[in-house]
This record gives sequence, structure tokens and C-alpha cells, in this order.
Amino acid sequence: MLAAAGCGSGRTGGDSGGAGLVVGTTDKIFALDPAAAYDNGSLLVETQVYQFLMNFAPGEAVPKPDAAQKCGFSSPTVYSCTLKPNLKFANGNPLTANSVKFSFDRMLKINDPNGPASLLGNLDHTDAVDATTVNFTLKVANDQTFPAILPTQAGPIVDEKVFPADKLLDDDAIWKAKPFSGPYSITSYDKNKLVSYQANSDYDGLFGKPKTETVSTKYYAGSENMRIDVQNGDIDVAWRSLAPTDIDSLRGNDKVTVKEGPGGELRYLVFNMNTMPGANPAAKLAVRKALASSIDREALSTGVYKNTYAPAYSSVPQGVPGATEPFKDIYGAKPNKTAAAKFLADAGVPTPVDLNIQYNTDHYGSTASEEYAAIKSQLEATGLFKVNLQSTEWVSYQKERVKDTYPIFHFGWFPDYPDADDYLTPFFGTNNFLQSHFEDPRINAELLAEVTEPDNAKRMAALATVQHSLAADFIPILPLLSGKQIAVAGKNVSGVENTLDPSFKFRFGVLSK
Amino acid sequence: MSGQLLRYLGVRLLLIVPTTWILVTVVFFLMRVVGDPITAALGGRLPADQLAARKHAAGLDRPILTQYWDYISKLVQGDFGRSQDNRAITEVVSTYGAATLELVFWALIVAFAVGIPLGRYAATRRDTAADAGLRLFAILAYAAPVFFVGLLLKLIFSVKLHWLPASGRASTNVELALQHVSPKTNVLFIDAILYGDTGYLMDVLKHAVLPAIALGLLTAGVFLRLVRINLIQTLRSDYVDAARARGLSARVVTRRHAFRNALIPVVTVMGMYIASMLGGAILTERTFDWKGLGYQLTEYLTQRDFVAVQGIVTFLALVVAVMSFLVDLIVALIDPRVRF
Repeated sequence: MLAAAGCGSGRTGGDSGGAGLVVGTTDKIFALDPAAAYDNGSLLVETQVYQFLMNFAPGEAVPKPDAAQKCGFSSPTVYSCTLKPNLKFANGNPLTANSVKFSFDRMLKINDPNGPASLLGNLDHTDAVDATTVNFTLKVANDQTFPAILPTQAGPIVDEKVFPADKLLDDDAIWKAKPFSGPYSITSYDKNKLVSYQANSDYDGLFGKPKTETVSTKYYAGSENMRIDVQNGDIDVAWRSLAPTDIDSLRGNDKVTVKEGPGGELRYLVFNMNTMPGANPAAKLAVRKALASSIDREALSTGVYKNTYAPAYSSVPQGVPGATEPFKDIYGAKPNKTAAAKFLADAGVPTPVDLNIQYNTDHYGSTASEEYAAIKSQLEATGLFKVNLQSTEWVSYQKERVKDTYPIFHFGWFPDYPDADDYLTPFFGTNNFLQSHFEDPRINAELLAEVTEPDNAKRMAALATVQHSLAADFIPILPLLSGKQIAVAGKNVSGVENTLDPSFKFRFGVLSK
Repeated sequence: MSGQLLRYLGVRLLLIVPTTWILVTVVFFLMRVVGDPITAALGGRLPADQLAARKHAAGLDRPILTQYWDYISKLVQGDFGRSQDNRAITEVVSTYGAATLELVFWALIVAFAVGIPLGRYAATRRDTAADAGLRLFAILAYAAPVFFVGLLLKLIFSVKLHWLPASGRASTNVELALQHVSPKTNVLFIDAILYGDTGYLMDVLKHAVLPAIALGLLTAGVFLRLVRINLIQTLRSDYVDAARARGLSARVVTRRHAFRNALIPVVTVMGMYIASMLGGAILTERTFDWKGLGYQLTEYLTQRDFVAVQGIVTFLALVVAVMSFLVDLIVALIDPRVRF
């Protein structure tokens, strides 16, 4: 029999009712302050505790009103939202149009280098017209991506009575002040170790009442302990990131279920238009087309990644509205050595073509070594290529890739928001992020057409056009794989599949056991 | 306590100051060799003027010796600095240091419980197959990396047998419940006792088993070899022969006369191995997701939070220095020869 030692010691009357549903993850929280956070670990928390004007309903990739009743363009450069009445934060403070204006002004004012303020590049200013009406004035008219930016990490609504207007607030000060109007509120916070959440009874938003009252998040240094814990039932759900081999072994485990959804992550090869092999632009394009005809994406998906990644046949991954598969249509789903040889022969490119390919393992995962070893053997098996692989640590990799050091290099992308344009304009527009010397007036025009097209059907057609153009006539990048979202859950847990969608928001509220 | 002993301890106590100062100085300048923390965290993502402004605000544009003096002055006042996420390092140390001490405590118990009896057993069966086996075990236990031993233990006891948990200091519900105990020590097994729940205490103890074995075996191998060799030497000494000549049995001779003296060298090196255990604890904590100071240190390292790393390493240096003093004190009390 144990006795509490000493007078006045023992329980303090806190909750001992437990952890509720436990979610494990290896993603780390960078910060609770939305102005400082632009990472998956912070997004997981923000999804639960903050409310957004617009958000993605479970399973959907088109934004809908969340804290807002309605949103829409009131003029080509003004996007207007009307808030639901009587919204409030968990601390009792009211959530009004002023809170929204404060949140967006603050994001832009602080403009933290680690934060997501860059997503609001097209926002000129925000006005609180009255207690429930907010107007966003945009720099470029008819920006159809703006509604999809509101649910991103740039869009959480914060309490103006808690957050300072011009500087960041530390995590402890935030969670203790309860400036949360999302489905959950944080009840205990041990950063990147253990965080517990309680359903927020005042929540009035898109996700509806949470199915589970109490949820805890347990953080792991690596995937191995998380895998053991989920299969032993010590945690209910393992969400990001298990190794492909772990997932493969868990698929055969009768205590857990492996749930998959479209991921949005894209892995691809980037071609430096100046330094890649080929004596002239036509020869370079022929090399790119030959490569597009030689890669066996299916083998990479199944052999290397154990079906945790899917073959990608476009610059936009499947699952994102507007995605097509032009590489499959034009070059085929399977490698075609004859077609590859013809591309090279027609352009007068001598074979074997020497390829220097750079890849990275410390940012894109250690399995990248296997991935690129497989790519090398696939390409060399055609007899048309001789591949020299090199791997570089991420900090140097990032610097060197923009200095024309790498003729062909491995790259990856997680979307900021589930809109096809997020995979297109940043990479193929003027002064693009890849800095691989690709720029083309026709593509620029096609990109502008899809971004500013208000009619959804026409916009989808415009997106298909630009994807086809890129694959057929340019190939500035060669898409290889798109990542699935994978969560592993105990057999008694339901709802996981409902939150695995292209929005990349893992919503605790849909989970139950 | 004799004047001789007091003088000896006084000198040892005074030696803590220069020892710690050298350690702190080395850590400070090593951290500066890799560059300043602001550039490491934000270089390339901020314009040069903003980067310079941040460095100025953090005092990193001042001469290195000024920064050093400032750091030492604050240290003397107990200010170890603040992490990038604005936590006082003293608070980090008090929160997570307890977890590390708890791990080291359990590991020491394993080291003593395994190393000392087996060392004694090997010594009394010198040159037998059992002795050879135990010597081999000692070498393997010392040489095997902690993370490898940890992986093996998890594979056997968590994955295959499901006897013990693979990671963490307690189950999630227990950890959450133990946040509501007063006074909260952050040493979970003490907190569980204070909470007054036997089930919680058992849960905490079960979580400690595998990490304690993984870390404890490292030192157990050393203790085994030390006890064995010292006991063999002691059993050859004149006073043991005299005891045997008085007709005492081998068991009594070993227990009453030889064994205690054979332990003195073990105590002498114990301080050193407790320090190495703190190093081993870092790896152990990562292997078992044991959220202690070592785990937190590696988190700060990956975040390139140099101020936090510097603060924690400085604190660990202080712990090692104090440990060394305590061991000197114990050795001085049990072995009068060291005072001369």
C-alpha cells in the first residue's frame, strides 16, 4: 500500500482521467505562434486549436467557410468575408472582424523568416468593415488561389488581447492564455514531448463537434519507437512519419490498420537548362524526353517505397483538383527504350549520355539513396545513359543548386495549399524558385490564365493545358513520385481515413475509438 | 573529522572552481568556432541588415572577450541563458535534469547489481570457464554501443515478448496524471509514490527497466572487471593469508576481509564512470525516447540553438565536477591513504 509522503503532498485534483485518444508523431512543433510557424509539426497543432476564415472539410480540397459564414470576391481586387456571430476564444474573449484584421496585419508586420508571411504576397491590406465583415484588398485582381491561402498556416485567427501586434509570443505564454477558437484547446503542453487537448465547447466551425473529447499527442525522436508503440497498442494512431519498411511490415499486422490518402508531396528531377547534357536546346529537350521514356516509376513506388509513394505523371500530384497525367499519356506508364532511343537519335545526341545526378538524403529521407540507386540502374539498363550519382548535405545542396553546380538534381515539394497552381507558378513562372533557367512566354501566359480564371470548369481546363504543355514541349522537371499520406491506427480507431486528404490537415476531431 | 581530512577536502573543493572555469571556457569558445547562432539559424533567409540588427540585439557583434566576460558574469549569478524559444536554461535543466538523474540512478543500480556480484563470482572462480565467460561478457557489455543494446532489448522484450514498453518514461495517461502531483519532483517514480497509485508506480518502473539495463550494462562491465581484478589481488595479500591461517573459511575470508577492500578502487573510479554515464544517457534517452536533459540537448543541437547547448553542457560540466568532489569525499572517508 502506498501512502502519499508528507503533509500537503499528493494529488492536486487535476485530471487523472487519462490521455484519451493518443496520436504519435515524429514531426516537431517549431512554434505555437502562427507568425513564426511554417512546418508540418506546427500545422498539426494549429489545425486543432486555431480557427480559420476558410478551411477544408474532411476529405475535401476546396475551401469552405469555417469562422466565416460566407466569403467571395466583392470586386476583382477585394475578397470579402462575413464572420459567424458570437464567436469567441476559449479564454472568453470575442473573435471579431478586428481579430481577423489583427491576425493578418500582424503576420505581415512581423514577417518572420521562419513564418508563412510569404504566402500573403498578394495581400495589400485588410479592413474590418464592422464587427463581422472583413475585406482583403489584393494586389493582383481575380486571384483564384487566395481562398485556398486562407486555410494555410498564414491564416489562423489569433486573439488580439493575447498576442502582441509586432513581435512573437512564446509557446508557454500562448497555451496558458487559451487564445484558441478551434475544435480543441490545449490543456497541457510539454513541447515536442507530450501535448494534451480538450474539446473546445465554444467551437463553431466547419469541422463540427469533435468525436473525441480528449486527445494527446506523443512526440518521438524517430519512427522506430512509434512503430512499436502503435503495434503494441500504447498509442492509438501513428501519424508521420514511419519508414516505408515499417509501413510495409505493419500492413500484415492484425492489430493495426494502415490508412492511406493522397499526399500532395511531389518528388522529381530538376534539369538545369544551361548545364544539363546536350549540345543545344533541341538536344537537351531530346535528353529530357528520353529520360521521361526510360524511368519506371512503378518500380520505384513498389520496390523502393513499398507503395508509400505513388507514381507521378504530372507536375501536379493526383488528388489535387485539376491534376492530369500528361507524362503517362505522352511517354507511357512503362519505360519505352525504343522511343527513348529515337528521341536521342532524331536530335543527333550520341549515346550513352553522361548524366551527373545530385540527390539528398538528410532532407528528403534516407530512402533517397535506394531511390537513386534504382534510377541509375533503370537508366543504365537502357544502354542509352551512363549515370554518376552524387549526394550532398542539405545546407550545401540548397546553396549549390542555385549556382548552376548541379546539371540534374533531385527535388521535392510539399504544397502550401491544395491548389494546382501551388505546384506550377512557383516553379515554372518568371524568376521561379527552381532557378534552373527555365522560363517561357507561352507557359507564363498559360499560368496567368489559370490563376485568374473565375469559372471553375474553365480553370480546370486551363490547368490541364499548362500541365500538358510542360510535359510535351518543355519538361523542366521530370515528376517521379507523389507521397501518400499514411497513418497507422489500432483496429478500434475509426475516422482516420476521413482526414487523409490533399489539404494535409490531420484533424483530431474526426477520430474516435 | 580530522584537520588532515578537512584540508584535503578543502583543496578538492577549491579545485572545482578552476576545473569548471576551464570547462566553461572551452565550451564557450568551441561554440564560437562554429559561428554565431543567429547566422546559423537565419543566415541566407534574412537580408544582411536585418541579420546584423538581430546580432546586435543579441550582443553578438561585440568583441568576443566582452561576450565571454558577459557570459561568465551571468553564469556566476546562475543565469545560463535562454533558448531560442525563450525558455530559461535553468528551467530546462530543472525540468528535464530530473529525468536524466532518474535514468542514471536506475542504471547505477543495474551496474552495481550486475557488475559487483559477478565480479566477485568471477574472482572466486578464477581461470574457470565461468570466469572466462564473465570476462567476455564484461568486454562485450562495455564495448557494445548503447543504442545497439537498446535496439536488441526492445526487439526481445517489447516487440517479441510484449513484456516491457519500448519507450518513454511512463504511459501517456500516467504522465499526464503525474503532472497533477504536489510537490512535483519530475522524478517520476517519486511523483508516482506521492500520487499514491500503485498501478502508476508499476507503470513508471516498467518503463525504466530497458533504458536502465541498456545504460547500466555499459558500466556493469567495468565494475565487473574492476571488482574481479582487485579481489584477486586482495585474496593474495598477507592479511588474507593470515585470516585463512586462523582457520576462517574461504567464504568468510572473502566476505569479511577481502571484498570490502576490493571495492575501494571501484568507488574511486565510480565518479568518472558516472560522468561517462551522463554521456551514455544522451544516447540512451534518444534510443528510448526518454525525455531527459540528454534528449533535450540533442533537440537543441538539431535546432542549432547554440545558447541552449552551451548552457546545458555547462550545467553538465558542473555536475561532473561536483560528482568528482563527492567521490573524493567518499574515498577519503573510506581510505585514509589518499589524504597523504
